[in-house]
Amino acid sequence: MTFSSIKINTTMSLFIFLAFLIVLFSFTSEHFLSPYNITSLLTNLSFSGIAAIVLTPIIISRGLDISIGGVIGLTTVVVSALYSQTDPLPTWLILIIGLGTGAIVGMINGWCITALDMDPIITTLGAMAIARGLAYVISDSQSILMFEDTTDFISNGTILYIPIPIIIFLITAIFFSILLHKSKFGRAIYAIGANETSANLSGIAVKKTKMILYVMCGIAASVSGIILLGQTSVGMPQHGIGTELEVITAVLLGGTALSGGKGTIYGTIAGVLILGVLFNGLTISGVRYVHLQIFQGILLLVAVATYEIKTRNEVAR
Amino acid sequence: MKAWLRSFIYSDDIVGALTIFLGLLILFFALMTPHFWSMNNFYSIIGNIPAMAILCLGLTYVVLIGDLDLSLGSILGITAILAVFFFKVMHFPLWLNLISCVIIGGLFGALNGIIVTKIGINSIITTLGTMAIIRGLAFWIATDVDAMQIGRITDPAFLSFGRYYFPEDSRLIPITLVYIAILYGLSYLFLNHTSFGRKIYAVGSNEATARLAGINVKRVKLVCYILAGMLSAFGGLVLVAQLGLGEAQTGQNMILEVVTAVVLGGVLLTGGKGRLTGVIIAVLILGVIRNGMVHLEQVTDISFYWRDVAKGVILLLAIGLYSVRKSFNAKRLRTRQ
Repeated sequence: MTFSSIKINTTMSLFIFLAFLIVLFSFTSEHFLSPYNITSLLTNLSFSGIAAIVLTPIIISRGLDISIGGVIGLTTVVVSALYSQTDPLPTWLILIIGLGTGAIVGMINGWCITALDMDPIITTLGAMAIARGLAYVISDSQSILMFEDTTDFISNGTILYIPIPIIIFLITAIFFSILLHKSKFGRAIYAIGANETSANLSGIAVKKTKMILYVMCGIAASVSGIILLGQTSVGMPQHGIGTELEVITAVLLGGTALSGGKGTIYGTIAGVLILGVLFNGLTISGVRYVHLQIFQGILLLVAVATYEIKTRNEVAR
Repeated sequence: MKAWLRSFIYSDDIVGALTIFLGLLILFFALMTPHFWSMNNFYSIIGNIPAMAILCLGLTYVVLIGDLDLSLGSILGITAILAVFFFKVMHFPLWLNLISCVIIGGLFGALNGIIVTKIGINSIITTLGTMAIIRGLAFWIATDVDAMQIGRITDPAFLSFGRYYFPEDSRLIPITLVYIAILYGLSYLFLNHTSFGRKIYAVGSNEATARLAGINVKRVKLVCYILAGMLSAFGGLVLVAQLGLGEAQTGQNMILEVVTAVVLGGVLLTGGKGRLTGVIIAVLILGVIRNGMVHLEQVTDISFYWRDVAKGVILLLAIGLYSVRKSFNAKRLRTRQ
């Protein structure tokens, strides 16, 4: 009972903070609440939001994936390079290969972490270097232009006036909140994060669960990459540099603990929305990008410090 | 499995294996490319590693206590900017410039250390945050101060800080090599022959035991972070003097390579174990790969960018080998019982 009330309070306080930000920015800029800005805000945030949603269960299981940005870059390059061949494959096949790219990187991550028992941070750091390096090799450090109807539709199209990236983001969020909070698989993830040995002893397939999580994260990063490719119409190896910082910030802001076993999808959604609204609002109010970076760092530290102090007080009580 | 192979893979001493690997790499590039094996190229390799080697030394201190500092590349970046700022805008003399930069680097290190020890946030998250903050500050200074638009330094005294040779006319030993030797030598003595150095290893191997043994764990950690910050600042100064240029993006993607080198050098991420000889050889390995790939691209059609892939693969192999070794040792312990 007490536990659930604390959880609700944390997420609630995040949404209250979000509401406060929205009210604040609607005063500082008259354009903030215009339909155009709201749409572009949500479209931009769904790009990193998809990755953040899928990273949440990984962090809950006490893992981490830093290779997200590298996979985004590699996917944009692979898809655009395949499309720019003189006799290109059908688009649906190219997109599947694009998603497969992320899946393969995720599989390598998962295999190293489960079979070899390697540290997830270092593993995914290595995978990031490999993915980014391959992107540079394939593209020869050039930007590859790509104007294609399907990717353009995925990134800029609408269904019932709702941009498709937002729809993908919503579907991902709903799917993962059901998976994490209503399924046996989700309970297993929390159990692994709380105590991996006891989860293993109580019959949970720890390695298989972790493997699935990393593969899903790779695929999600590829989806983000394809959306980014459609939005910018160019595939380049520099795409997605720094995205991992943004994504990890959003997840931790949402109350997921790096020490594992704790966190919700709703919290991550709140974290993604807060980051998105904050950046959009500050930009639209005339704050420069240089200062945004500083804000992002401070916000991450303040959020994590708050949780840390709160947990310590609870333990002390 | 053959006994020698087993002892090679499972032995605790990684320095021998690294040296052999470095030798093989040099042999490979020397045989494959015409210009790799030359005095000029040797100096070019040596000239490319100082900042990297000094940063690795700084990170080693932090990894030895079981933490990770991702902000070192940003500290190097802001030092590059500050050195130009002090030089161009404040008109500091060289010695004051160097000292203030190193002190500011130490302060950023102290900031990391205080957040980690006092508030108790995980070191990776802390330094991920300060990495963004410090880099942001560097860009802020670089874009807001007009004199910083071109961060070029032409003062010969400053440049000789990174470009001087001993003896001056025969250009035999570059001064950067002297810096590396002195810093690694001092660190070696500090870590192995002072009580404070032994305390660093003690905190890294088991924090709780160290505390019970009466070691001020928080102070040891704080000192390690400060040393890492100061060393990164020094590395930044050397780099600026070598390049004659300080930009806000200096060292932006460096930290990945630094972590790779330190881990490859056999410093355990869990802390408490690692030797400086391993680290410096790992730095040389990465330097040889970086240089050799350029030569290889000229001879064959292999893209220069494969070096990033190679870096990642080597990192994964190093850690994978360590993990296999760990599980093997655990199994051996179990069978003994």
